[in-house]
Amino acid sequence: MLAFIAFFVAPVGYAVYLSLFIKKRSGFGPAKDVFGGLANYVRAFQDTDFLQSLAHILVFGVIQIPVMLIIATALALVLDAAKGSASRFFRTAFYLPYTVPSVIAGLLWGYLYSKNLSPFNQITGLKTDFLSSQVVLFSIGNIVTWTWTGYNMITLYAALQNVPTDIYEAARIDGATGGQLTRYVKLPLLRPTLILTGIFSIIGTMQIFSEPFVLRPLGYVPDNITPNTYLYLTVARDGNFGYGAALAVLLALFTLLLSGFFLRYAADGGDT
Amino acid sequence: MKKAALFVTLALGLSALGSAYAADPAFPKVDAGKKVTLEVWSWVPGLDKTVAAFTKAYPNISVKVVNLGGGPNTYTKLQTALKAGSGAPDVAQIEYGFLPAFADTGGLQDLSKYGANDYKKYFVPWTWGQVSPEGSAVYAIPQDTGPFAMVYREDILKKYGVAVPKTWAQYAQAASVVNKKSAGKVKLGNFYSTFAPWFMALAWADGAQFFKRDGDGWVQTLNNPSAKKVLNYWYGMIKKGDVSTINAFSADYWNAAGAGTVASNFEAAWGPGGYAGSMKDKSAGLWRAAPLPQWTASSTIKSGNWGGSSNVVTTQSKNPKEATLFALWLNLSSSAISANWVNGGLFPASDAGLDLPVLHEKTKNPSKFFGGQDISAVYTQASKGVNVNFQWAPWFPFANDNFNKQIDLMIKGKLTPDQALDAWQAETLADAKKEGYTVR
Repeated sequence: MLAFIAFFVAPVGYAVYLSLFIKKRSGFGPAKDVFGGLANYVRAFQDTDFLQSLAHILVFGVIQIPVMLIIATALALVLDAAKGSASRFFRTAFYLPYTVPSVIAGLLWGYLYSKNLSPFNQITGLKTDFLSSQVVLFSIGNIVTWTWTGYNMITLYAALQNVPTDIYEAARIDGATGGQLTRYVKLPLLRPTLILTGIFSIIGTMQIFSEPFVLRPLGYVPDNITPNTYLYLTVARDGNFGYGAALAVLLALFTLLLSGFFLRYAADGGDT
Repeated sequence: MKKAALFVTLALGLSALGSAYAADPAFPKVDAGKKVTLEVWSWVPGLDKTVAAFTKAYPNISVKVVNLGGGPNTYTKLQTALKAGSGAPDVAQIEYGFLPAFADTGGLQDLSKYGANDYKKYFVPWTWGQVSPEGSAVYAIPQDTGPFAMVYREDILKKYGVAVPKTWAQYAQAASVVNKKSAGKVKLGNFYSTFAPWFMALAWADGAQFFKRDGDGWVQTLNNPSAKKVLNYWYGMIKKGDVSTINAFSADYWNAAGAGTVASNFEAAWGPGGYAGSMKDKSAGLWRAAPLPQWTASSTIKSGNWGGSSNVVTTQSKNPKEATLFALWLNLSSSAISANWVNGGLFPASDAGLDLPVLHEKTKNPSKFFGGQDISAVYTQASKGVNVNFQWAPWFPFANDNFNKQIDLMIKGKLTPDQALDAWQAETLADAKKEGYTVR
């Protein structure tokens, strides 16, 4: 309980407290933090850069999360069907990217993305600029998918392993083919795990930071590519701790809301 | 024969003495009996070696060097420590452009209280304006500078029959020749599209003023005539494909420069060290340095500055007097300036330091990488041509990032250079006002 207060309640409380202060200046010299009430929150809802960052992450999530989970599910099903050392090898191989810290992954992909050195460009003879501001969001999506697909696959695979084999036997006795087994038995059984990985992915998506941040020095990556980079710059670059705290609080609420909607939607889907 | 040898020895001895005396002013006296420990945050490689010489001269002051590697992370850490009210070092290194933002936190000591103004005369004139914008309070001691000059591949210019350009008109002409003759494979120059200070240094050389203190507020003119002139000039070359737009410090850039597909660039005085380090095995000995091209042919070289840094003393320091002494010693004593140059490639802000023999050694890098040319002579000349009245604003870090946004739109053809600069001005101004600055 003490730990909960020290490591959860206190920081959140401090963030909320900080978010009520605005910077005030008169002429030169240091800014003073004065009580501003909800001014920072009002500013956030009028801040097109911040709202855009939310839009970015929504687009990102709507595309990246399903793609990643579909690939992860497919891989888990394949691995579950295949047995033996090959299965073990691929399990480890797909999981490996997750063990690479995201900063390192960003640097690695940063090299693979650089216009004149990229192996893709050298093989295909194209001059694709993966770091151009129009496609950089997709390039980041690719890094995130690369990192997390294997992780989600393992979770889903573990869920499949926990299914008692007599269920499969019963299905087979009823005459189910492999495809039907997957469609009507395995996938429904995976549903709770998919919801879980979905929630984790939503939360993870909202927190994306290191990938865009590592790519920043390599090209033009907008300040507000994700809400977290925008928040970070507000505090670390502009020194506005109050506004940063307000953004953090809003972001936490937004994540909570999104997760709530997803859970609701997923549960409703289960009823039909 | 003997006489000549004696004369040489004498001359060498005298010049050594002369430079030593010229570079070392009398440093402020501190209480010799007081034991003090200073913590220093810096990104200068090998600073610990320099510090050893300091503790030899001042045995009671021990110095703990923390190398944070430089860049945004260092600033974040310092910013947070200043905000938190504890954990900041006694002395920290900050680039000139970012200094006002830190002065603005109230976390920096006014060093004029510790006699810093007495040392103004020992520094390259324009650097003092950077650390003491109003001419009274002194927020930092200048450390190194980045006056601008041109670096180029002598072999490639020869190959395409192009003379070293002395004016911007000649440069554009040469860029077009190289592009045509090489069928687009080789570019004479490169535009660093994500480094505002690089662009600003080019405009600075033309007398541009981006920020100015005015009474109790500020004037911001990011879209000033010089900036428009410089950006339109470069945009013309970008559109024709005569120059490339590869990012600074990227693997792409080093590869292109090493392979000879980019034949020249404009780099600060600390740049050649990076060339020597990043292209060790490629193109060594082929590079040369020349003064920045000028808008009108003239014998006086006007230049700007990119980067360079200063040493601040934080208000959290318990020994600001000793910290000020250290910052002065680090940037004015000939032994420290020499070590900073040899280990970290810091081009001194000290006036006398520019003449130190070690800077002009042709057998050592970066001069060695530049074919044994005394490139420091080129940069010393550039340093003397830097406009003194240039100022930065506390919200420069924001302007710095916003520049990238506008230039990105310009290169994609969505904004003209003038529109890009106007947008840069408008968006930065709006943000500065939101942050509570009085600015117009």
